[in-house]
Amino acid sequence: MPYKFRGGVHPNYMKAPEEPVVVITPPPQVVVPMAQHIGAPCQPLVAVGDYVTMGQKIGENPATVSAPVHSPVSGKVIKVEPRLHPLGDMIMAVVIENDFQDTPCTDMAPLTEEELKDQEAILTRLREAGIVGMGGAMFPTAFKIRGGLGKVDTLIINGAECEPYLNGDHWTMRLHPEELLKGIELARIASGLDKAYYGIEKNKMDAIDLLNSKNPAQYGVEIVPEEVKYPQGAEKMQIKVITNREVKPGGLPAGVGCNVISTQTAYAIYKACYLGIPCYERILTVGGSAVNKPYNLQCRIGTPFSYIAEQCGGFIKTPKKIVLGGPMMGLIATSLDAVNIKGTAGILFFTEEEDKTVENPTCIHCGKCLTVCPMGLEPLYMYMYFKKGDFENMKKYHILDCFECGSCSYNCPGRMPLTHSFKTAKLLFAKKAADEKARAAAKEAENK
Amino acid sequence: MITKEYTFDASYQPQVRTNTDTSRIMLDVIIALVPAMIVSVLMFGAKALLLLLVSVASAVFWEWGYRKLMKKHDTIGDLSACVTGVLVAMVCPISAQWWMMVVGTFFAIVVVKQLYGGIGKNFVNPALAGRAFMMASWAAIMTTWTVPNSLAGIDGVSAATPLSYLYGTEAMPEYFSFCNLFIGNVSGCIGEVSALALLVGGIYLIARKVISWRVPVSFIGTVAVLTLIFGHEGYSNVEFMVYNLLSGGLMLGAIFMATDYSSCPTSLNGKLLYGFGCGALTVLIRYFGSFPEGVSYAILIMNLCAWAIDKGFRNRQFGVTKEDIKAAKKAAKEAKA
Repeated sequence: MPYKFRGGVHPNYMKAPEEPVVVITPPPQVVVPMAQHIGAPCQPLVAVGDYVTMGQKIGENPATVSAPVHSPVSGKVIKVEPRLHPLGDMIMAVVIENDFQDTPCTDMAPLTEEELKDQEAILTRLREAGIVGMGGAMFPTAFKIRGGLGKVDTLIINGAECEPYLNGDHWTMRLHPEELLKGIELARIASGLDKAYYGIEKNKMDAIDLLNSKNPAQYGVEIVPEEVKYPQGAEKMQIKVITNREVKPGGLPAGVGCNVISTQTAYAIYKACYLGIPCYERILTVGGSAVNKPYNLQCRIGTPFSYIAEQCGGFIKTPKKIVLGGPMMGLIATSLDAVNIKGTAGILFFTEEEDKTVENPTCIHCGKCLTVCPMGLEPLYMYMYFKKGDFENMKKYHILDCFECGSCSYNCPGRMPLTHSFKTAKLLFAKKAADEKARAAAKEAENK
Repeated sequence: MITKEYTFDASYQPQVRTNTDTSRIMLDVIIALVPAMIVSVLMFGAKALLLLLVSVASAVFWEWGYRKLMKKHDTIGDLSACVTGVLVAMVCPISAQWWMMVVGTFFAIVVVKQLYGGIGKNFVNPALAGRAFMMASWAAIMTTWTVPNSLAGIDGVSAATPLSYLYGTEAMPEYFSFCNLFIGNVSGCIGEVSALALLVGGIYLIARKVISWRVPVSFIGTVAVLTLIFGHEGYSNVEFMVYNLLSGGLMLGAIFMATDYSSCPTSLNGKLLYGFGCGALTVLIRYFGSFPEGVSYAILIMNLCAWAIDKGFRNRQFGVTKEDIKAAKKAAKEAKA
């Protein structure tokens, strides 16, 4: 019986695409950013004019916290230059002209029977295949599992998919249940554990039944059906619901002996180990009222948004916003030229219809933000002190412990920009800390 | 091929929001007040309707006029002035005059609400403050009770409220039966008489998640427990408790007044404490005060404590246990020493 967490909201789920996953032909030109993970960006390994095969490693960084990047198509490298990253900045990228041959790269063979049971072999493969947290955080998976060795006693696979619109994970469960269970088994072996828990929200009962019919116990997996509530899929909530442990403020999941990886990551682990396919494609949901036909696409990394929109029948209304990921926590892209990366779980094209911002947001002190905050914080007071620029009280009201799930803003009848303000506040804190450090350094230099 | 140029907003997360906005919430409150309004018109006749209409119209006018005069954005669309208007009329006896509503709503809307910054900023309940102002200005009219039409034949035109009998020396008249008190066939302020209508509204509000159950339940519960324990001569303890729950402004106060967003604490435990305080003060005033009724002053006093309660009774932060809090306190003490 899963435990419960306090707070949370029940948004309109809008899980639109009911067609199975559509595999789209890759675009004539892909743009592969060299930073698709948290940590050190990769250095390009190829130069203009090189011929690359599908799955060939084209970027790498030897740093511990990093993940290599592979070519999603075969073809000729036509440019190596900074390009627009979906999250806004110009980042070094490799532009490849697709020859539509999909000539596979033979560098990475499937793991042998023995290797599939060997912890070290799997971890090396996860790193080599460039696998990162594909739920959106893009933390290198090999590093996450290695960092938890000896501390982590519970491995959790996140299948909640609590964000509205997104149902790529749901479709992955329905189409590839055995592959998923095998992927989870590998993650479990890599973590050196006997058991893994797969938390899935109860609005995916068909997927839960299907997975259970595949005898998950033989893979050392237990399926945990969970209450349908946002943010069920947040890492801290998953840990609370499955183990009843609470991550301390400022702490990491490993601090309470847990590691959480996402459904898409488990599927990518399967492909990397059993098939020898590195992480160069993913399943993502395309939705929003601007799109003609919302689909789940199996789509190569580096596909421009404009191409993705075309594959979904183009726009029927003027899009006003591009949301990467779900609408609650998703970030905003501002150009159709940007490309999807490993962590893009969804691309939503919203029109004015979805927009509920008002001219004069007013706090009516109703406390609805506070009742839904899964972290037990008081957004209305955090906002008040943020507006005053009162850093001491912001800290006292734990503004730094907000993980920006957006529940407070979602539920706010006065349409206050709560989550956004806390994000800004965190940046201010970081800036303040940096300033203080610089000042202290300058003072020290003066004293010398 | 998409060739058209689009421009995109870089707006902030989350990208979706609930449909329930401020005006929807206020509309829910008005809907919840409809049963009580119907009862008041049935019991007290067309004059009750007149008072309600004048009160709402003047409250909206003051809100609009003040914002216009101060060159602030218009807020009558959020319907909060309508709610205040309805509530101001509801806490007046039927003997009140229509022009008193205009003055009362002026005090409620302009002095109590707008001077402090408008919706969400007032630190006491505007409608109750308006009532307190009217009580101070026209004490005689505000305490002259007329019995409902259906009872007019029995007891002439004016009569005391059940509460004044309850704590007085005279025996409770027979027509103040539990049944009459429950449906509202008694003398009192026009909106407070029917416990039934108010409870229906309260259940609607809780079901719609407009208000939390914490304040009304702890408020009414405290009054019930205290009156059950202490009792009063002439009544059995249970009888006395039921009379206390059904008479006076308890239901109206606990469901519609104490739950006013801006003057009530927001933390979960704070709400319970606040309701308890309201209940305890109500009983204290009813027993020992010079007015028979204590609900409005109890709420006004607790309104003033709301900020302190919110500071003192914060929600438990995720991941923080009682031991953590104790350890942090100890560490802070040691650091001081």
